[in-house]
Amino acid sequence: MPVGPFGIDPLIWAPLRLVIAVGLALFLVLNGALLQIYLERKIQAIIQDRLGPYHVGPFGLLQTFADALKLISKEDVRAQATDGWFFVAAPALVFCPMLASWVVLPFAQDIVGANLNVGLLYLTTLGSMTVLGIVIAGWASNNKYALVGGLRSAGQLISYEIPQILALVSVALVVGSLSMIDITRSQAGPLVNVLILPFSFVIYFIAALAETNRTPFDLPEAESELVAGWLTEYSGMRWGTMLALSEYGNVTVVCAIVTTLWFGGWQGPGVEAIPLLGVLWFTLKVYAFIVVMMWIRATLPRLRIDQLMSFCWKGLIPMALLNIVVVAVLALAFPTTKVPIAVASWLLLVVFVAGIPFVQRRRLRTLRARARAATAPAVRAAS
Amino acid sequence: MTFDFVEPVIFALLSIGVIAGGVAVVMLSRITAAALLMAFTFLCMAGMFVLLGAETIALFQVLIYVGAITVLILYGVMFTKFGDRPRALFFQRQTPLAAVFVAAVAIPVAIIGLSFTSATSRPGGGDLVALATSVFTDFAFPFEIASVLLLAAMVGAIVLTKREDPEEAALRRRR
Repeated sequence: MPVGPFGIDPLIWAPLRLVIAVGLALFLVLNGALLQIYLERKIQAIIQDRLGPYHVGPFGLLQTFADALKLISKEDVRAQATDGWFFVAAPALVFCPMLASWVVLPFAQDIVGANLNVGLLYLTTLGSMTVLGIVIAGWASNNKYALVGGLRSAGQLISYEIPQILALVSVALVVGSLSMIDITRSQAGPLVNVLILPFSFVIYFIAALAETNRTPFDLPEAESELVAGWLTEYSGMRWGTMLALSEYGNVTVVCAIVTTLWFGGWQGPGVEAIPLLGVLWFTLKVYAFIVVMMWIRATLPRLRIDQLMSFCWKGLIPMALLNIVVVAVLALAFPTTKVPIAVASWLLLVVFVAGIPFVQRRRLRTLRARARAATAPAVRAAS
Repeated sequence: MTFDFVEPVIFALLSIGVIAGGVAVVMLSRITAAALLMAFTFLCMAGMFVLLGAETIALFQVLIYVGAITVLILYGVMFTKFGDRPRALFFQRQTPLAAVFVAAVAIPVAIIGLSFTSATSRPGGGDLVALATSVFTDFAFPFEIASVLLLAAMVGAIVLTKREDPEEAALRRRR
């Protein structure tokens, strides 16, 4: 009989491992959300020159725990006109794909739920399933604001999935694998992928901000226009599961993808000697990106829905397609060296960033011309 | 202790899910529930693909059918006006005829299906490389034809449904 790790039969070890992985992921999601809400409030407070939570516990650390207790103990409110089962099922439909995507995140050399050889595809697949839950939530609430919010959110998520996947493809082209472990292993040493593919990283990060409903793309919860979007009718722990747990869980997953694909995952100084050090490096890198996302939230205003859509379809997707073509051609033309890809990617990035003011100025000019043309006859008629 | 029974049990659960989900999609008169159950059927189908060792196809099944097509159908449902229709199946009286046709197709398929005895071969290490090579070498031409067809369909759909912006039309008339 073959013996697996810890002297357990491998056939028992496989399901046991799954149970342990899911339990650990649940633990990390729950506590990560608490920690990230605290971080979010503190960082926004620092940027806005306030104190932030500081009454409950040392430095206000226990504030979010108190908030969570309040949410759990809240009455389960359900409006009469809501669509019974769908209303209950929607938070689960949003939460479960997020939890399932933790299975393939590589925390350290051997600490990973499952080393799927299609890990990257698995992550994008689960990301696309969240949309279903959001649409159902908007529909089941039986409320105009929730419905419009749900449809908006679904449109946003579907649109921004495309540049996201296209950015991932360029990494897969360079590394030659879809497995998260292989991608991490390919970046041993200081030459991480972000130095080779900075442009696809920027595209992915922008699209990921939209995918996780973060500012400047947090339209689904635009209070001034849609009350609270698809979350309008939700309260108590259902709201907590949908918004707090799923949103912050998704933020963590996205930041973990960025870390793994472009910043070397668990690789770092001293990992060869002590493999457990990988967990520390991984967590530090992930939280660095989470802090950047919070910084962006405290800095940028929100986009309008048409700006959001036109930026995705006219800006990000063409650039992502161009990026793929360039990377694929260069990867085929120079199979041994990655220098041409790096040069091209940096050039594309510079062109993209430098081109934004020009495009913006032209767009504003046409908009102004159109507005003038529309009002001019009216002015003439009135005078 | 062997675990050979696990795979047939999972297969049985998945096939019950596929068949029950499919039947419910056809029988239910609540269209949103039907759409959700369709997503459930697709998920069970993806599970079947995983059992066959074709994870990539399973993931594409979920990505395209659950993530895109079901959402599209829900969009369609939400943009369509419909009230309470208690007698949604009022004019449909072809159930016996349908049963005859289903039996005529299902029984030969079941007989042929049960006559296979050899186990399917399992590609080691997933089906990603095999799928990619077959799509981009042996079947590159049909693949490209299909993509051109999809592009034509998309452009056609946009041309057919695009309405003229009233503001723009008014501007052009004025000029």
